[in-house]
Amino acid sequence: MRVLVLVFVVLCAVLAPAAATAQDAAALRREIEQLQKQLQSVTERLQRLEAQPPAPAPVGPGAAAPPAAPAPSAIDLARPRPPYSLYQQRGAGQLLFDMGIAGDFVGNITQHNVEKAQGGTFAGQENRFFPREVELSLFGQIDPYASAVVRIEAGEEERGGDIAVHLAEAYVTLLTLPFGTQARFGLVRNRYGYSNEIHEHDLPWIDRPNVMRNFLGGEGLNEKGVEATFVPDLPFYIEALAGVFNGDNENAFGRTSLQAPLVTGRLRTFLELGNEHALQLGMSVASGQTAARLPSTILGWEGRYKYRPDGWLHPLVTLTGEALYSLRQFNVDVDADGDGVTDSLDKKHKNRWGWYLGGEVQPWRRWAGGLRFDWSQYPENPGAEQSIEPYISFWPSEFLRFRAAYKRTDRTHRDGFDLNGGSARTVDEFLFQASFILGAHPAHPF
Amino acid sequence: MRRAILILGAALAVIGPMLPVASAADKIHVVATIPDLKALTEEVGGNLVEVESLARGTQNAHELEIRPSLMLKLRRADILIENGLTLDSWADVAVQGANNPKIVRGAPGRVDVSRDIQVLEVPSTGVDRSMGDVHPLGNPHYSLDPGMAPIITQNIVDGLARFAPEHRAAFEKNRRAFLARLDEAMTRWTKAMEPLRGAKVVVYHPQWIYILSRFGLNQAATLEDRPGIPASPAHLTHVIRQMKEERIKMIIVEPWNDLKLATRVAEEAGAKAVVLASMVGGVKGADSYIAAIDHNVNALAQALR
Repeated sequence: MRVLVLVFVVLCAVLAPAAATAQDAAALRREIEQLQKQLQSVTERLQRLEAQPPAPAPVGPGAAAPPAAPAPSAIDLARPRPPYSLYQQRGAGQLLFDMGIAGDFVGNITQHNVEKAQGGTFAGQENRFFPREVELSLFGQIDPYASAVVRIEAGEEERGGDIAVHLAEAYVTLLTLPFGTQARFGLVRNRYGYSNEIHEHDLPWIDRPNVMRNFLGGEGLNEKGVEATFVPDLPFYIEALAGVFNGDNENAFGRTSLQAPLVTGRLRTFLELGNEHALQLGMSVASGQTAARLPSTILGWEGRYKYRPDGWLHPLVTLTGEALYSLRQFNVDVDADGDGVTDSLDKKHKNRWGWYLGGEVQPWRRWAGGLRFDWSQYPENPGAEQSIEPYISFWPSEFLRFRAAYKRTDRTHRDGFDLNGGSARTVDEFLFQASFILGAHPAHPF
Repeated sequence: MRRAILILGAALAVIGPMLPVASAADKIHVVATIPDLKALTEEVGGNLVEVESLARGTQNAHELEIRPSLMLKLRRADILIENGLTLDSWADVAVQGANNPKIVRGAPGRVDVSRDIQVLEVPSTGVDRSMGDVHPLGNPHYSLDPGMAPIITQNIVDGLARFAPEHRAAFEKNRRAFLARLDEAMTRWTKAMEPLRGAKVVVYHPQWIYILSRFGLNQAATLEDRPGIPASPAHLTHVIRQMKEERIKMIIVEPWNDLKLATRVAEEAGAKAVVLASMVGGVKGADSYIAAIDHNVNALAQALR
């Protein structure tokens, strides 16, 4: 038996190489060729790496001489590289999304009667300095097909009250839809006109224009729903937007139901006149129902022009204007017999409008000055108001900004601005603002 | 017969203008974030590609204003070539407005050419904005060094070949031809810069480290207090004193930076302020990659001689 085993082992030892030599020679040749290619590739890459200049001292205060970066091994170099990958620059332990904080503190000084009537720009917060908006932003790619943004805001909403924290925005953008479309769903600042989608700390002024506050409320149009954009492949830029939302905005809509949704739309185009002049034009619509189940539609027009001399880091002249036209139905009490008791409700159309126009000059990188003129009716109450607001901005760096303004407002009626026996027909205010950005902040669109 | 000629003529009039359009439509439409990458992509892609740049050579590539016209360029792009290392992060905002799934982050059409670059000035300590606008992943201005072109163009070839694998051989051939021309120029540049090895220069913004290291020059100081932070008078006084003490002859200025300030400082220190092409097209005549490096090397050699 032992002899048989011995014979078997010897046979195996003798026959195995013979079996190997019997393998397909072509396969071996292919393998050798592949190895030769890999070696050539490694040699080329090593030559490239060696051709690079030596690394200078690292930046950073008190930085000690760094340990020499380990040279890539031949195995590292030969390892197949992915053709592309998400976040390939990020090291271990780093987040897979960006995070930033924006702080916006504002203050104002005005007359005592305006404070009493709560008729200032920051209604109820007259003669105070307060955190209007401290915003935590988280944004990044969810996967190769979608990105997400979450913004949580804290601010003092009532005079001396607690700091309220709320979800300001949370939305997903689907990036890989066909035919030049993109969709966004969640809680969004609506892309309605120029200024509505801009957060308080990013506005080019301290306060939102009067017409926006009068027609859409202090928070603007900030809705839950879905919107889609379409950018056709044309020789000129045009973006079409359509959206469907709950209609939660109490000032203009308030139906809060998808059974009678708020429908939005926007068309935006852009003209570049040489390298130095650029003009963006757009028109928007938002149509829904009010809480009283009556129709409400707001039409908007926007324009923004910038003159940036070639090579300048900032525009020299910026002009911005928007106009809103509100078509709305209201219930009106009818006292048929004059006894002071409402006998029936009548429906009445009120078409109101307003606009603003602002100009800014920035002759130096860190300083800018501008003027904004506002004129606006009220969507429900009679009368109108007009304001003029010169302001000056100073940026010590890209991430810190101070702004001061004087604003004078004249109102034709005191309706709505006469609380506590005060009057706010004429308002003189000094407004000031300090804003900062900590961490990541996406680049601003035009 | 006359009628037939008329019809034929009319047909040609209609079809004729469409012919070059059809030919352009066959090309790979590439958008590069900065002109250097546009120039290098044109070298590699040859007549198979049509390349546009988002930034212009005279602009500051750190802070580009996102205009819808950039979105229009990206709308039709098959490939977006980006510098990476946070120089052109603004491209994300433009891409989001372009509604083009081919170039969103993570898509095969998004090509980051910083792959395999040995990045300089990578912070070795934690960074924050008290240090200015520091790039946390290191200095992103590697395209200013012609020695990096082999790596950049290899990444471009890989990116283009992902989209059109059938043209890989043509891209490789174009690349080899370009690198041969670059090698010739490199011999000339190295010879011109050899006597100046070890010379010190002051830069306005710290974006020249790659080309300075390539030719053995030393960056002694920056006019900016810290990256992106305007100089304080005290800092400028310190720089002027240093330039006098160390006999520094040159301040390198980017086309988008404050040449007047740099000239004042240079005059105080007995030196010259010279504008170099921070990107292709940054100065007159620097309209190709080799021409831009040519301009920079000649300007350095003249000022430091």
